[in-house]
Amino acid sequence: MSLKPGVLNPSKNDKHDMFVGWDKVPVVDRRFLFGALPLALLGTSGASYAIAKNVSDPGAGARLTTAPHSVTGVLVHAPYPMIRVADAASVYGLRSMLIIAQGKCNTGYDFSETQGHAVKADGVIVQRKNRQLLEVPPFVGDWISDSQDLPADQISTLSSPTEESLGRAQLAGTIMDTKCFFGVMRPGRGKTHKACASLCIRGGIPPSFWARTKDGRETVLLMTDAEGGPVPLDILPLVADPVTAEGEIIRVGDLLQFRADVNAYRRI
Amino acid sequence: MGHQYQAVQWNKNKVVYDLYMIISLVVFIGLFMVIGLKTYPSGHTAEPVGLMIRALGSAAFSMLTIVLMIGPLARLSPRFNPFLYNRRHLGVTTFLVSFLHFVLALMWYHAAGPLNPFVSLFVSNPLYDSIPGFPFEILGLAALIVLFLMAATSHDFWLNNLSAPVWKALHMLIYPAYAILILHITLGALYTEKSIVYAVLTLGAFGLVAMLHLTAGFREWRTDSGLRHLKKKGWVEIGSPLDIPEKRAVIAPLPGGERVAVFRYDGKIAAITNVCRHQNGPLGEGRVIDSCIVCPWHGWQYSPEDGISPPPFTEKVATYNVRIENGVILIDPKANKPGARVEPAIIDPVSIDEELAS
Ligand code: FES
Repeated sequence: MSLKPGVLNPSKNDKHDMFVGWDKVPVVDRRFLFGALPLALLGTSGASYAIAKNVSDPGAGARLTTAPHSVTGVLVHAPYPMIRVADAASVYGLRSMLIIAQGKCNTGYDFSETQGHAVKADGVIVQRKNRQLLEVPPFVGDWISDSQDLPADQISTLSSPTEESLGRAQLAGTIMDTKCFFGVMRPGRGKTHKACASLCIRGGIPPSFWARTKDGRETVLLMTDAEGGPVPLDILPLVADPVTAEGEIIRVGDLLQFRADVNAYRRI
Repeated sequence: MGHQYQAVQWNKNKVVYDLYMIISLVVFIGLFMVIGLKTYPSGHTAEPVGLMIRALGSAAFSMLTIVLMIGPLARLSPRFNPFLYNRRHLGVTTFLVSFLHFVLALMWYHAAGPLNPFVSLFVSNPLYDSIPGFPFEILGLAALIVLFLMAATSHDFWLNNLSAPVWKALHMLIYPAYAILILHITLGALYTEKSIVYAVLTLGAFGLVAMLHLTAGFREWRTDSGLRHLKKKGWVEIGSPLDIPEKRAVIAPLPGGERVAVFRYDGKIAAITNVCRHQNGPLGEGRVIDSCIVCPWHGWQYSPEDGISPPPFTEKVATYNVRIENGVILIDPKANKPGARVEPAIIDPVSIDEELAS
């Protein structure tokens, strides 16, 4: 007499003692775990290594927090707040540093009345290659003061740098907020950073256009509207997506600007 | 109903389980951070907070993948039962890691801006009508909510108070959540990072989970289809008591579709439902230890005679009437009320002596 057909006999496949959670672990399970646990650890560590190792290059940006920086230059109000400082190392003899505030907003302060003033400002420098931003507290305070240190002729060169049109062009690239892309987020681009970039631009951080030429060289241009004013917020849905637009490229001092109407941008 | 609930009924195995889990997690995150920060030269180093968000997200996804692998693995081999035993701690930790991933991402990408971070989460990427552009963050949030519900109700207290079917249904949500999580990764990290390694790992994890479920499911289906030709009327014939090893059981399907676990112990035969009161574990794959049937999944115990858990527990499962006629076990297919006492059938001592002699 044996078991009727269809009756399952689990003991056929498993003759060992059973693992019971609250009891001593049987020898078979002990042996199995002895091999399986290190293997599992190897597997998860391997996955961790592979994921971390293949993160793409965050780019050359940095936030130079080690020392407080003090810069002296001329205050510019439009299209975005910036300080222009003399820079002998630059072929243009000057460097334009956008002013951005801590967090994802810009200073709420209106610089139009102090446009062209010589000032000394303290902040943290955010740098990507030869581009620099000055990160300052969100409100006007001790960090900015009038400066008597600049000679009058320098003030006038810094106030009205040469403007040169480089012609119209159809550019393909990505819209990003200058702050994160220049070194705060690392990586401050791509879809995972889209919300942040759009929030920063909404908060008044100047947008930039990261264009790549066909041979892979990258250029970062400061975006303005067609008249050279700040870009309106209609641009927000397009932030961080691959887009193309036709516009005029203008060099103001050392800074390349991309002047294009917000409706000129198309998602690719 | 039920006994006095404690947060966790600790024992040595649970401590070892949790320790191993935490060590693996620390190694995962630590290695991720070290490698992530060292991969590019200084000046190109990733920002640690952003990297930590990735590390936590990757860890949570790996953990959930493992959680989902354990079930079918344990169906395929009882050697994986130790992983099953304390799986809920792995599940709850997965939620905690995901939650950290969420909090850091919310603070890093959405806070300190002109909008409330929670508003920003929903409006900063408005491309709800696009598939590739879809705000992947929302998908992550949806999966997190499911993980939260499951973690919050993971305790046996909820299992009893929500009733087993509701609890089961709730915990089946893990599958849609896993699918949503894969979309979250695909439309987020995979879309942003171009390395093929990410696609391979994500697809590999999904494939592994799917394959294990299919294999375990196929096995179950094959045994089930082998059961169809059983007699449909009257008491069900099982076979000779001597074909059941001492302290073990055989499992037989009944006309109504239920399964009965028929145990042999101390020269007696007793039958209870095959379905554990706890999480439907297969009682027939358990053992009789210290005169109690012990479930192979989490070690719940039932007395073979009445299906009641030993004090202080009060769980009950259904029992079945059993008798032995002409050396054949017969089971009444009508289940008794859970906890109903049934006289076990006595195996003819002569036949046991013969069995021992041979
Ligand atoms: S299913 Fe958990 S103990 Fe039986």
